[in-house]
Amino acid sequence: MAVGLVLAAAGASAQTSKGQPVAISFGLAVADTPVGCGAPLTALGTGRVAASLNDARLYVSDLKLIDARGGRVPVKLTRNEWQFADVALIDFKDGRGGRTGCSKDNPAKNTTVVGTVPKGRYAGIEFTVGVPAAAEVDGKQVSLNHSNLETAPAPLDIAVMNWSWQAGRKFMLAEVNPAGGFKRQDGSPARTWMVHLGSTGCKGNPATGEIIACARPNRFVVTFERFDPRSQLVVLDLAQLFAGSDLATDKGGAIGCMSDPSDPECTAIFQAIGLNLNETKPGAGDEGRQTTPGRSPIFTVRAKP
Amino acid sequence: MTRLGRTRRGRVRAPAAALAILAGATASLAVVGLGTADTAKLKPSTKAPAVADDWIWDLPSYVPVPRVPADNPMSEAKFELGRHLFYDKRLSGNGTLACASCHLQDYAFTDRRPVSPGSTGEQTPRNAPTTVNAAWHASYTWANYSLVTLEKQMENPLYGERPTEMGVTDANKDEILARLESDPRYRDLFRAAFPASEKPFTFDSVIKAIAVFERGMVSFSSRYDRYLQGKEKLTEAEQRGLDIFFGERGECHHCHGSPNFDDQFVHAKSRDVELPFHNTGLYNIDGKGAYPAANRGLIELSGEASDMGRFRAASLRNIAVTAPYMHDGSVETLEEVIDIYSDGGRDIAHGPFAGDGRSNPYKSDLIVKGNFSAQEKADLVVFLKALTDTELLTAPRFADPWKR
Repeated sequence: MAVGLVLAAAGASAQTSKGQPVAISFGLAVADTPVGCGAPLTALGTGRVAASLNDARLYVSDLKLIDARGGRVPVKLTRNEWQFADVALIDFKDGRGGRTGCSKDNPAKNTTVVGTVPKGRYAGIEFTVGVPAAAEVDGKQVSLNHSNLETAPAPLDIAVMNWSWQAGRKFMLAEVNPAGGFKRQDGSPARTWMVHLGSTGCKGNPATGEIIACARPNRFVVTFERFDPRSQLVVLDLAQLFAGSDLATDKGGAIGCMSDPSDPECTAIFQAIGLNLNETKPGAGDEGRQTTPGRSPIFTVRAKP
Repeated sequence: MTRLGRTRRGRVRAPAAALAILAGATASLAVVGLGTADTAKLKPSTKAPAVADDWIWDLPSYVPVPRVPADNPMSEAKFELGRHLFYDKRLSGNGTLACASCHLQDYAFTDRRPVSPGSTGEQTPRNAPTTVNAAWHASYTWANYSLVTLEKQMENPLYGERPTEMGVTDANKDEILARLESDPRYRDLFRAAFPASEKPFTFDSVIKAIAVFERGMVSFSSRYDRYLQGKEKLTEAEQRGLDIFFGERGECHHCHGSPNFDDQFVHAKSRDVELPFHNTGLYNIDGKGAYPAANRGLIELSGEASDMGRFRAASLRNIAVTAPYMHDGSVETLEEVIDIYSDGGRDIAHGPFAGDGRSNPYKSDLIVKGNFSAQEKADLVVFLKALTDTELLTAPRFADPWKR
């Protein structure tokens, strides 16, 4: 566990004379409406309910630009409070706690991934939603997803995004408060419909050096063959995420879907994301894997506002 | 276990001011190796004010050094003074109660009672929480986001009047300090702990010393820790319990996932500290979510309706020896606690607190019916029992020093 050895060199920039800087912007939307911070959400889920945003964050990793010939070129991330190794945390909530929409005076906490790529012309982008199990940092293999929250460097030190050593980090967290609340299976009230995506069925223990292996990794890759970081942004669309979900109820397990394969709410959520919740057929061994590599309907490309 | 250590490293020459700053910052200097982190060792020059140069945090690799207030650095001398004060009834107004009266080593510094009597016989509304590993708490007591240091928390039991606990008042403060000062043992202890102080016998010193003793009350030597350190294997039942606890089956780790098995864990390098409090569906007196009077949780502080019944998640370390459970000590056994979480709350059929807590409108969305099988319940209990640090319960380092 050498993670803690890497104390961020203050202001160290990854920019070298050979690279060109790149900044990838992310946005949050409901269909065509940009949201984020405290902007109201409309027409969510099968019941087209109004809601407010409780929280929305995700870890993006293994970011690559795609060159004219389709080659993948890794972006070397600048190390800062939001980025470590090849992982970046996107946070759509604002510092004020989300009572109003995002604005110049009330920006979302972090919506841009910054780094460098070799000089060249690029046509597209590819990234993974999730935290890799490990990465090479300063010539050493360090554990990332299952590292100790308390000693991990930023942005892997956020308690909200942590599950436990076994399960690792929450890769994506999207929580909404449907107007007027909603009902659990037993009729009792609930407030926040939660989507927590992360690896499940993990065995082993990083504290003892046991290898962690997760039955369902639940990471997924998003590829856009055409993407211009200067004029476009990558949008996470909550309308798509909740498209098949009834936000007026919860039929069991965690409230919403927390990646438990037996939770009834996870069926629609995983389908929306483009992940196999369970094996597609017995013996396929494709549970927790992406249905179509590179494709996740919850992400789209939009022109920058 | 923190051990007594007085190692000396090379001398560091620094101006007095720098020394003072370093002493306050030691906690944050020492985290690099991730293994046993210890404070920077400084040998003050003869002219510099004395600084803590002998404190060692002897912690496993997965536990970071705790946050220590800059104006109260750790030292062995303060720890030792704090230990004497912690066990001393003379610290209470009427001389009948010590900190240790409600925080007994045998029970991991709790007291086996649902609630506790103060020095004048008044009962506290809440269950005496453990002082073990309190160094890592982000807030103190059961439901108070304003108490974020042990030094501030201590003013409650010392000076609190509703209820009276130690019963220290403006009228008897000087008398209490005089009691301490008349004991030659304390004259040595106070001088050693506060060598630069002209007037060491103050309540400021008393509070600081007890806080250092409590911060030094470190417990990471349970069976589970030995398993983490690769020294022991868990039994199959313990392993099954661990898997339920940390997996998506039990969802226990949402509130009990830190190295201290709680969710308000703060340390020297913490950046963004959140203070979660939870309503776990224990009561629902009026069908609208009410908890019993004087035990309504965070709402008593904030006035926000949604804070009804919200309390801090307790650490589960040493949980097998700290019954009864919950903020009011209303649950007698671990098995019953597991039953409550299996049901997603508590339904009370009879009596003044009757009501179905499972449908409390303010219940945390993280509390869901676990629907555990009898086997799963038994496994969870077995795992929780592996969190007991038996060394802590008898360690001379934390024992009553007046009994020698």
